[in-house]
Amino acid sequence: MKVTLNWLKEFLDLGNRGINPAEIASMLTMSGTEVKKIEYTGEKFKNIVVGKIIDFKQHPNADKLSVCQVDSGTGLLNIVCGANNFSKNDKVALALEGAVTSQGLKIGKSKLRGEISEGMMCSEYELGFSDESEGIMILSSSCTVGQGFAESLGIDDVVFELEITPNRPDCLNVAGIAREISVLADIPLKERDYDAEERLNNDKDYEIEIKDYTLCPRYCAKIFKDIPKIESPEWLKNRLIMCDYRPIDLIVDITNYVMHEVGQPLHAFDADLLYSNKIIIRTAKSGEKIRSIDDSIRNLKEDMLVIADEKKPVAIAGVMGGKDTEINTSTKNVLLESANFYGPSIMRTSSALGLRSEASNRFEKKLDPGLTLIAIKRFEELLSEITGTKFAGTIYDNYKKTARTRTIGLRLDKVKSVLGTEIEAAQISRILSGLGIKTKIKSAEFAENIKSDIIAAEIPSFRFEDLEREIDLIEEIARIYGFEKFVSAPPAALLRGGKYSFFQKTLRQLRQLLCDSGFYEVINYSFTGAQWLQKVKTASEDQYSSAVKIINPINEEFEYLRTSPLPLMVKNAVNNINHDVRNIRIFEITKVYKRLEDKKLPEEKTVLGVLISGKSWLKSWNENEKAFDFFDLKGVLELLYSRFYGSTPAFEISGREFKFFHPAVSAEIIAGKTAAGIIGKIHPLIIEDLDILQDIFYMELDLEVFIKNSGRQLKFKPIPQFPAIVIDIAIVVDKDAKNSEIVNEIEKSGTSLLKEVKLFDIYVGRQVEEGKKSIAYSLTFRDDLRTLKDTEVDIIVKRIVQNLGRKFGAKLRQ
Amino acid sequence: MNITDSSEIIKKLAEEKEKFSRDIKEVSSSEDVYKLKVRYIGAKSFIISTLGSVGSLPAQIRPVVGRETNIVKKEIEAVLEQKEKYFKSLQFDLDLRKEKIDISLPGRKMPAGKKHIISAVIEEIEDIFIGMGFEIAEGPEVETDYYNFEALNTPADHPARSLHDTFFISEDTLLRTHTSPVQIRYMEKNKPPIYIIVPGKVYRKDYDISHTPMFTQIEGLVVDKTINFGNLKWMLEKFVHEIFGKERKVRFRPHYFPFTEPSAEVDVSCDICAGSGCRTCGGSGWLEILGAGMVDPNLYRYVNYDPEEVNGFAFGMGIERICMLKYGINDIRLFYENDLRFIDQF
Repeated sequence: MKVTLNWLKEFLDLGNRGINPAEIASMLTMSGTEVKKIEYTGEKFKNIVVGKIIDFKQHPNADKLSVCQVDSGTGLLNIVCGANNFSKNDKVALALEGAVTSQGLKIGKSKLRGEISEGMMCSEYELGFSDESEGIMILSSSCTVGQGFAESLGIDDVVFELEITPNRPDCLNVAGIAREISVLADIPLKERDYDAEERLNNDKDYEIEIKDYTLCPRYCAKIFKDIPKIESPEWLKNRLIMCDYRPIDLIVDITNYVMHEVGQPLHAFDADLLYSNKIIIRTAKSGEKIRSIDDSIRNLKEDMLVIADEKKPVAIAGVMGGKDTEINTSTKNVLLESANFYGPSIMRTSSALGLRSEASNRFEKKLDPGLTLIAIKRFEELLSEITGTKFAGTIYDNYKKTARTRTIGLRLDKVKSVLGTEIEAAQISRILSGLGIKTKIKSAEFAENIKSDIIAAEIPSFRFEDLEREIDLIEEIARIYGFEKFVSAPPAALLRGGKYSFFQKTLRQLRQLLCDSGFYEVINYSFTGAQWLQKVKTASEDQYSSAVKIINPINEEFEYLRTSPLPLMVKNAVNNINHDVRNIRIFEITKVYKRLEDKKLPEEKTVLGVLISGKSWLKSWNENEKAFDFFDLKGVLELLYSRFYGSTPAFEISGREFKFFHPAVSAEIIAGKTAAGIIGKIHPLIIEDLDILQDIFYMELDLEVFIKNSGRQLKFKPIPQFPAIVIDIAIVVDKDAKNSEIVNEIEKSGTSLLKEVKLFDIYVGRQVEEGKKSIAYSLTFRDDLRTLKDTEVDIIVKRIVQNLGRKFGAKLRQ
Repeated sequence: MNITDSSEIIKKLAEEKEKFSRDIKEVSSSEDVYKLKVRYIGAKSFIISTLGSVGSLPAQIRPVVGRETNIVKKEIEAVLEQKEKYFKSLQFDLDLRKEKIDISLPGRKMPAGKKHIISAVIEEIEDIFIGMGFEIAEGPEVETDYYNFEALNTPADHPARSLHDTFFISEDTLLRTHTSPVQIRYMEKNKPPIYIIVPGKVYRKDYDISHTPMFTQIEGLVVDKTINFGNLKWMLEKFVHEIFGKERKVRFRPHYFPFTEPSAEVDVSCDICAGSGCRTCGGSGWLEILGAGMVDPNLYRYVNYDPEEVNGFAFGMGIERICMLKYGINDIRLFYENDLRFIDQF
């Protein structure tokens, strides 16, 4: 919201006190009404005054130029001018030496073709009022010669752009801001007296019927007859423009002006376009429609409040008027509405219709019904002043009064316990009364079980909605007193030990480990769309089918919550590849979400996604390049388990097909008996479809499972004292024989002396039979208590080979 | 030889030694050293032949000659050895200098990744608060209307709801619009004293250069017997100084949030213009970074605390905003595009 300094001054009794806009802005900001911007509207018209053309003649050396004698108020100036749209005695915007046009041209004395020019007569273009213009701007003859140009137009002002918090509808107007300034800067308010009681409901020419006083506690109206047809005066238009309203016509401009000044929205109907002299405030009937002022048909719902005549709705209460009864060029008689509507109902209607207006924005925050009469009177006052016509007569008022004052007991010791600083009772009283709250100090005997002095605060109607409790008053005191005055101090009981949970700590280590191993962390949105899910073939997988759907997504790409990091991580890979970043090691730690049939909220699980693609080593002057393969990823999995579970393998992977994985490189990760994740190579058809030329490998771990079971029991093992014997064996087995099973068998037959089995070579080719492979292991034997003899080891190795022979038909390779 | 007096031999030995001392000064290579070795202690040298003939000398001079000759031999040997070592090391050094490499060639790259900047800043903030005695709490991202709004003093018709453009899952379940619901969930399950921070993803329906539909907040909640506004100021000042630097100023500006009262927005002085006003801070000299306030006593009723027995404060901040201010990032959407050229910068 914007307010101007001159407008505010109309409410402040400054006497001969000056007022500094920057200081005012800082006070407002530091009391909860943030000033976003200050604009000095007169500044750009500095050194531009109202001048009067006394005489002019043709330039002796130029056909298209004239030489004018212009009265600047302080003397006659010689001005050379290229325009010809003026005559003697015209008043003009005269730019003197030192002025700057809106195009940045500095005005100074100069000589134009031999004639001295001591300034410039400005066009609307040069003043910044229009994008182009012909000729100079001719001012109204009522302007005073020598007066500042901005001042004469009523635009020599300071505009404050404010942010009003939703709890302060009383500040959504000039008067409310003036009240804040009054208490902050200790400036008395000018009282305005709008007593209209004697004119309420004096006749029965018009009837106002309110169907539901909860939705509309008060409706005031007044008829203004035979309004002279005149345009809004410049000062009114200019003020509205400075506060971001578009001037329309006199009636609408005054309703906006009054709303902005006192905070009460008004609506003007063309009285002759209403069906009869009866106004009904009711909820809409089923199927009712209205054409709103913005010329669109609105379908009304039965909980929406409307203003109706006896035939049809003529306005959507508090939101927008109807086109059919709108003020128009032939309007003569006006019915002015000044009403109070129930905020929540207005909010529901305006959000259901997607229609927010200055009026609805005020109503939805709950207004004081006391404002209705003030606003009607102010409208009447302004209309009379501007048109020079007197508008007396009845004000129709239908009002079901409810109590709108309350007294709140404020304990002084509570003020201290909340704010941490003691504020004296007298100062509290001064702050509260400045805000319009009457106070009375009562001593501790006021009531039983109360230990400190109490201030009884009487809340006025205009703060009735937001000042309900003791804490509300404490906030008022605090913000006016000044937050900067409260002393910073550590909490009395701060001596505590902070800590991470086991899960949090492990998660951090995991993140660090992956980064240290060369992986970059990505963070994706929690949303994804059906189209992408189908593209990466995860939509129809069992475990991915129970996605949570958002009713009102940004668009279809943001419709489902993720059930796996896979789809968006693949997208990350593709996007980077398309940016020529082709060698990718990324991971993401994120929640995934799964709809549960019997629960209100979905399951949320933290998972890890790891993706690699491209080269693991780049070709370099001393290195050959190497492409990522499945075993690079499996190495990561092994790293994670060995780091967080210890050296014994705590997982196995077992082949299981997933649609999105290459059928032969697709597996499930099993830890104990629990499924802990998946690992595989993205299906080549998906890669082809994504239009990239490199494989992608992906792995996913359920971190709830992984972390819950992790944690190594660390215990020192003595360092071996005796030498080991290392024996290499190479056996020939069927091509499909599984390494894990062979190793299992070796370990089983190897006795406790076998400490390590390491696979070091696999060979398929001419030197072994067709359908077979040679596979070589290095076996480490050691006894912790003595030096082993070769003969002992030979016997064990022989047994291992025998057993492998029996089980896998393995033959020792010669 | 018929010698009965040792003095002749001793004298000759002294001459040998002196000659050697002169000769050794002239050597300039391993070869020269070798030549001297042959000359003075080689098979045909005076010293070695003397030693060889000791047995045939008269018994009374045998020990003297033997001892004196050996002493001279050892002295000469020691000097020769030293010289030999010296020439060897000279050669070795020359050989080493031939093993030249171009040290300007690039090193072999060790793979090293990076945390996402959001994670890194969350960890940094967590560490600061852990150091002040906090724990980290978490809560669901899909929430009920009750926890996200109602129990936070924001009933259905509250005007503050329009500030949150909410994603709905059903009529009364939604994506949390802030991390504040965790305040209620945590207080339901725990009794004061409470010192927690809550990092997490939150969601609002907005998408442009300064809004993403998902962003990250850190919430803080302190509830204890004697907590006041001065304590809130102290803690957040400490935090801001940790994360932005001690030279930055902090100001608390009254504001409104439904679930705190009094409420404040916390600004930090702009580091670009040092508070004098520039484009980044919109001319005000201040940058808003936190929302905070004393816990509204109404919240305590929802979790069965006695508002007369406890006081507390809460605060919340957007991590993206803090990152943007700290690193000069101008488009919030960059955080979630996961362009590795972005992630690699931090």
